[in-house]
Amino acid sequence: MAREATFATPLARPLLSRRARDLLTGYCYLLPVALALGATVLVPILSAMRMSLYNNVLIKPQDYRFIALGNYVRLIHDEVFWLSLWNSFYWVFGSVSLQFVGGFAAALLLHQTFRGRAIVRTLTLLPWIIPGVVVALIWEYLYQPNYGALNDLLVRAGLMTDKVAWLSNPSLAMPAVIATNVWRGVPFFAIMLLAGLQAIPDELYEAARVDGAGVLERFWHITLPMLRPIIVVATATRIIWTFNYADLIFVMTSGGPANATQITSTYTLLQAYSNLDFGYAATLSVVLLLIMLGFTTLYLRVTRGVEPVA
Amino acid sequence: MKPRGGLDKAERVLGGPVLWAGLAALTVFAMAPFVWVLLASFKTRAELYATPLVWLPASLSVANYVDAWTSKLTPFSRFFANSLWVSSVTMVATTAISVLAGYALARFRFAGRQTVMMVFLATQMFPAVLLIAPLLSQWHALGLIDTYQVLIYSNFSFTVPFTVWMLVGYFESIPRELEESALMDGCGRFGALCRVVLPLAAPGVAATAIFAFVSSWSELLFAITFTSQTEMRTLSAGLLFMVGQYEIQWGQLSAGVIISTLPVAVLFTFLQRHLIRGLTAGALKG
Repeated sequence: MAREATFATPLARPLLSRRARDLLTGYCYLLPVALALGATVLVPILSAMRMSLYNNVLIKPQDYRFIALGNYVRLIHDEVFWLSLWNSFYWVFGSVSLQFVGGFAAALLLHQTFRGRAIVRTLTLLPWIIPGVVVALIWEYLYQPNYGALNDLLVRAGLMTDKVAWLSNPSLAMPAVIATNVWRGVPFFAIMLLAGLQAIPDELYEAARVDGAGVLERFWHITLPMLRPIIVVATATRIIWTFNYADLIFVMTSGGPANATQITSTYTLLQAYSNLDFGYAATLSVVLLLIMLGFTTLYLRVTRGVEPVA
Repeated sequence: MKPRGGLDKAERVLGGPVLWAGLAALTVFAMAPFVWVLLASFKTRAELYATPLVWLPASLSVANYVDAWTSKLTPFSRFFANSLWVSSVTMVATTAISVLAGYALARFRFAGRQTVMMVFLATQMFPAVLLIAPLLSQWHALGLIDTYQVLIYSNFSFTVPFTVWMLVGYFESIPRELEESALMDGCGRFGALCRVVLPLAAPGVAATAIFAFVSSWSELLFAITFTSQTEMRTLSAGLLFMVGQYEIQWGQLSAGVIISTLPVAVLFTFLQRHLIRGLTAGALKG
């Protein structure tokens, strides 16, 4: 409409230059997203910072008061918080390293030509797309001591004599939830690395073959270096995502037994959801936010030098 | 693909037995848990709790599905409808606002553009748990608890940053010259976007829309925190509720798991190629 107005006005130049009008349009186009993220991300983060300075337990409204850094002092002396950080490290390292190895193997297999490749790809990538709570419940059933498949298989195969309570044994619970997360995450790496493999030109392999390079040499000197950028990006993304991911553990063990699987994100969730301790939950959120900012800065540093492949 | 001649021994072993064994192992690893739950969903109560374990149900009884779908305590028909509505509206709204923002960021050179892009990237990395406490008190103050809107609004916090980020990439890959001529012909910016850019970016837009749908379909934490009535629960929240309240009914629960999985599995099967290309292109831009 503004365009027609410029034809109508008898001015030598339009009121707004085209550049200025473009800018105005641009800001208008950004407005809905700005409102949506302002209301659901920015305002909540600011209010979490404010909430963290109050004693705010929903079921004890009479105790609501300003306590300055009281929640932060509590955090420093909270052994469960420090344990949860250590558990987060264990959870992230275990999950991502195994997902990477499994996903790399899967990508190399799925990159080959064979009959029925489309179907095998779809089936093997499926665990990645289904809801987290579904993954958690499927595995909770597999791990079920009396009626679950895993104990039955292991006993029948003669690998175990007694049934094991996988999720309620403090030393087995973490490996068990990590195994579940690996099942879920292998397809992510498979998808990423498969895309990377498909982007490597065949001529490179042909040239190496002419020069007499064997399979292993070609893998080491062509495949790996060519995949480096996507490996870095995918791994960094996955580390951050796994650190944040609370659904699986929340559903399977709620951080138990005895906080053996309590990671920082489930601990934050439980403070808000189960204990309704909003002040302390907000404090944990602020700390989590700082950790995330650290991760993100590191991520940008690490990935900046990496050339995009696609 | 590879020339037949000149294969060395390692190549023959890798391309033959190792390939097939690997593929078999991979398929079993990915599918066995699904198969187990699918079988369980058809078992009778006696078969589910038998010792020693009964692996195959004697008949394909759909009783568990009927029970889950019509149950008064955990009505999966209602959960399904809720999930479908919340995910669809989230998808449409997210796509509409992200297309505008993505186009603006791809085409208009305003100050602070780099910063805005950084903010979108960083926001993708924020965990949902961080937002639970502040969002709950915010929605509570606004009287929005137990409504569909509250789930849809909250979903924006994780769908929008990702879709905008991906769409900027798509729009940047479309040559500007194509719109320039449309602009000369008297189309407004919006006209150029709708008539020239969107048709070209359709696969990318579709991929981002599906991403928004699938991630809303899977969403659990907002759904359990911001709704409390049974009739407002989504599938994810309903499944968890089923576990929390009673002795676990594995038969009904397995049926519920299959019901929750089916729509996204079907979507994924048909749209796999688009979705994967969209997601990996977005990530490769990193």
